[in-house]
Amino acid sequence: MEIIVCLKQVVDPELPARDFAIDPATRRQVREGRPLVISTYDENALEVALQLKDRVGGKVTALTLGPQGVAGDAIRLALAMGADEAVAVDDPHGVGLLGVEKARVLTAAIRRIGRFDLVLCGCESADWVERVVGPLLAEALAAACVTFVSRIELRNGALLVRRMADEGFHQLEVRLPAVLSVTSDETNRPRLPKVKDIMTARRKPVQVWPMADLSGTSLDGDAPGVEVRDVALPERTARCEFLPGDAAAQVAALTQRLRDLKLL
Amino acid sequence: MDFELNEEHRLIQATVREFAAKEILPVAAELDHNPRYPAEIIASAAALGLLGLTVPEEYGGAGLDGLANVLVQEELARASAGVQAIVTVQNSLVCDPILRFGTAEQKRRYLPRLVGGEWLGCYCLTEPAAGSDAMSLRTRAERRNGEWVLTGQKIFVTNGLEAQLCIVYARTEPVPGARGISAFLVEKSFPGISVGKVEKKLGIKCSSTVEIVLADCRVPAENLLGARGRGGPVALATLDGGRIGIAAQALGIARAALEECVAYASLREQFGQPIKEFQAIQWAVADMATRIDAARLLTYRAAWLRDRGERCTAEAAMAKLVASETAMWAAHRAVQLFGGYGYIQEYPVERFFRDAKITEIYEGTSEVQRLVISRHILGRR
Amino acid sequence: MTGICIIAGALDGKLSRSSLELIGGARMLQGPVGQEVAAVLLGHGPGLAEAAADLHRHGVGRVYRCDHPLLTAGQTDAVLVAGEQVVRRTGPEVVLIAADTVGRELAPRLAYRLRAALATECVELGVEDGAIVVRRQVYGGRALATLVVRTRPAVLSVKPHALDVPQPAPVAGTVEDVSVAIDVGALPTRVREVLREQAELGLEDAQIVIGGGRGLGGPEGFALLAELAKQLGGAVGASRPPTDAGWVPVNWQIGQTGKTIRPALYIAVGISGATQHIAGVTGSRTIVAINRDPEAPIFSIAHLGIVGDYREVVPALIAKVKELKGA
Repeated sequence: MEIIVCLKQVVDPELPARDFAIDPATRRQVREGRPLVISTYDENALEVALQLKDRVGGKVTALTLGPQGVAGDAIRLALAMGADEAVAVDDPHGVGLLGVEKARVLTAAIRRIGRFDLVLCGCESADWVERVVGPLLAEALAAACVTFVSRIELRNGALLVRRMADEGFHQLEVRLPAVLSVTSDETNRPRLPKVKDIMTARRKPVQVWPMADLSGTSLDGDAPGVEVRDVALPERTARCEFLPGDAAAQVAALTQRLRDLKLL
Repeated sequence: MDFELNEEHRLIQATVREFAAKEILPVAAELDHNPRYPAEIIASAAALGLLGLTVPEEYGGAGLDGLANVLVQEELARASAGVQAIVTVQNSLVCDPILRFGTAEQKRRYLPRLVGGEWLGCYCLTEPAAGSDAMSLRTRAERRNGEWVLTGQKIFVTNGLEAQLCIVYARTEPVPGARGISAFLVEKSFPGISVGKVEKKLGIKCSSTVEIVLADCRVPAENLLGARGRGGPVALATLDGGRIGIAAQALGIARAALEECVAYASLREQFGQPIKEFQAIQWAVADMATRIDAARLLTYRAAWLRDRGERCTAEAAMAKLVASETAMWAAHRAVQLFGGYGYIQEYPVERFFRDAKITEIYEGTSEVQRLVISRHILGRR
Repeated sequence: MTGICIIAGALDGKLSRSSLELIGGARMLQGPVGQEVAAVLLGHGPGLAEAAADLHRHGVGRVYRCDHPLLTAGQTDAVLVAGEQVVRRTGPEVVLIAADTVGRELAPRLAYRLRAALATECVELGVEDGAIVVRRQVYGGRALATLVVRTRPAVLSVKPHALDVPQPAPVAGTVEDVSVAIDVGALPTRVREVLREQAELGLEDAQIVIGGGRGLGGPEGFALLAELAKQLGGAVGASRPPTDAGWVPVNWQIGQTGKTIRPALYIAVGISGATQHIAGVTGSRTIVAINRDPEAPIFSIAHLGIVGDYREVVPALIAKVKELKGA
């Protein structure tokens, strides 16, 4: 199976609150000096791709989009985990692009990579959380689409996927080629790379494509219909009241407060 | 001079840190309170490739350098010094001498199993009457019917209970001291080798420390490791790497102590404020951080020299000396900083205190390290 | 192009609650966009008549009803085909879609086909200085982004439970049956099975919710929480780690990817407060956190905090609640 996995590098979402800041000029999170990680669910998507490759064979290509030099660690980790090769689209803008813009660039990159059976990405990015890239890629690539996939099975040549739904799960049969966005599950916890593979990752091919070279991605003509006006931290007015004493005292205080609030 | 870790080193360090946090840290206290061999952790470590870090790819290893080994050992020890003791013996005291002094056949026969975690290895040097004066050892090996027959008693053997392969130092020549010693690869399945007393220890409890008894133990001739009579150099070369591994262990313990102190000092309030506001605590933390960093740089430098094939005996001794004394000092300071809670097993610092002590003793006591360093400067008698 | 169109889902045979929430959203946009709010009702079966009536009761006058056997739970491809056909026929300026299981796939794909502006997971909608302005949570709920919708048509998806179901405002409405052509052979995905998971009483509707996290140490901890929930009359949920580890069913998950809750009381037990979990609970009126670590981020959003071991605190709380109820 030819699988392409889209990986986004984001500032660690579990950054302590004191290190979280918005840059008013870019209207995005300040990245300078903050640790970068692969977006949470993109790692699950990569793990799903690798498990599928382990089972049925094939090739996994990691695809990233971002300023060059920054994407380095994400690519190295993806290759160390088992991806066969990587394509890094160099985006000098940095990180201001909205989902629709990113989807356009990724579509062009995927077309240039060539054939694929599956494109996998995380169900949502850990930072901007739009949940649009997967479905937009499916439309642009005329591929089948399922989002929030937790498990994939290949049975008798057909692709069976489990989608997380409000009421439980849906089991779907999917025709290839398909774009699937992946959510976390006990079966797809990302593997730790073996140290041997961290070393051999160095030898795996990494192509760097300047974004401007990808056709159909000039962003001047076709601006997205939506503009970010500002990004603000909501007012946090409540300060936590810590109930003192041992468990008995704390519980007594809590139940009293809950009664006062008419919750008990 | 570049003080940066390269991409691979950073990724290896991050990977092992995550592994340690997920699989070792949650059970570290339990492994100390109810000691048992952490078989599942060692198996996972083997799967990641942590048991033969510097073993070349052709034998199943990752072919990493000594600096990578130091990074890995520190991360493991940060979570559990006991678990790390098992891993460092495998790497530095078993795989390393086989790599350096083994024949192609010996490497082929033993390294893949050790790297893969199928076999655990141990190092048998110390005897009841030969501790710091290791080269006065009395275990003897006689040539008989085309084999070697070993008789003697080895003590304080880490991994000895679980190991399938033992590197045993025995006297083969009728001369005293290092020049009469040879090294042997002894499989537990050979006739005449058995595990004797299993020791109960102050710390690093999940790693076994046992007596190995050799009673006319028959070892095939091809299991001589290195040249006959050259066991001394094997032991010493091995100890250089072993000491760097222990220095890394000490760094991990010391860092654990520091991190716990930092967390505690932010949370513990007395006299109306978090204790981190008090100068005594601030100075303690500053001292800990500085001394740990100094020890770390000594350790990295020793590993760097060894990787370049340069002489590093004195530098390895310095690293081990400073790191182990720092770990003991930091752990002691940490218990004090925690006050009453530092004395209680529910908090990890008392374990660090007990674990740290061994780093000042094994693989050459601090006294021996000082001897090695002074000889390097002042020359031998 | 005129008017606002809401996509009302009745894929389970009855009107989804989030469809009603969209009506509230549509009302907030009625200013410059034209007064008309219409609904495209997609589903199958006899329940659609009641669904249409429910829409009328809440003030939506014009309902385009699309009844097709393929418009059932999870069949996004069919919903997309039908939805696109009806929307093109009716030509609204703005399409509102609930970002539920189907909606979150539907919205971007429909926007692509209509070449529409797209904003997803909106938690606030409004009109400011004559322009449509929406707000959405970003950075795991740490910040709120304000977006201006500049072009038309526009497809906006609304986060379920972010808006209230509006007060009924009955109108004498119309129902126009629209037939759509769906080539089943051309649909690239097909739902084989819908598995409903054993879920607690609707997590999203419960007034009291107790959440368990990694700090519980294993599935056994949830038995304690279940007992507390029983005493308080609440529901039990979880943060991501317990669901990822398989300690509890996946649909117990509360958070950005799981369910968003807005109960009167939320008690977080052994939950550190990862941002994506916090994003799912900030709407709660009163938040109580029980955790051993006083530095845990959950305390930054909690109103009442207990630093302690849940194994001591929760049994004590259960006992106290029983005592007070008995009194």
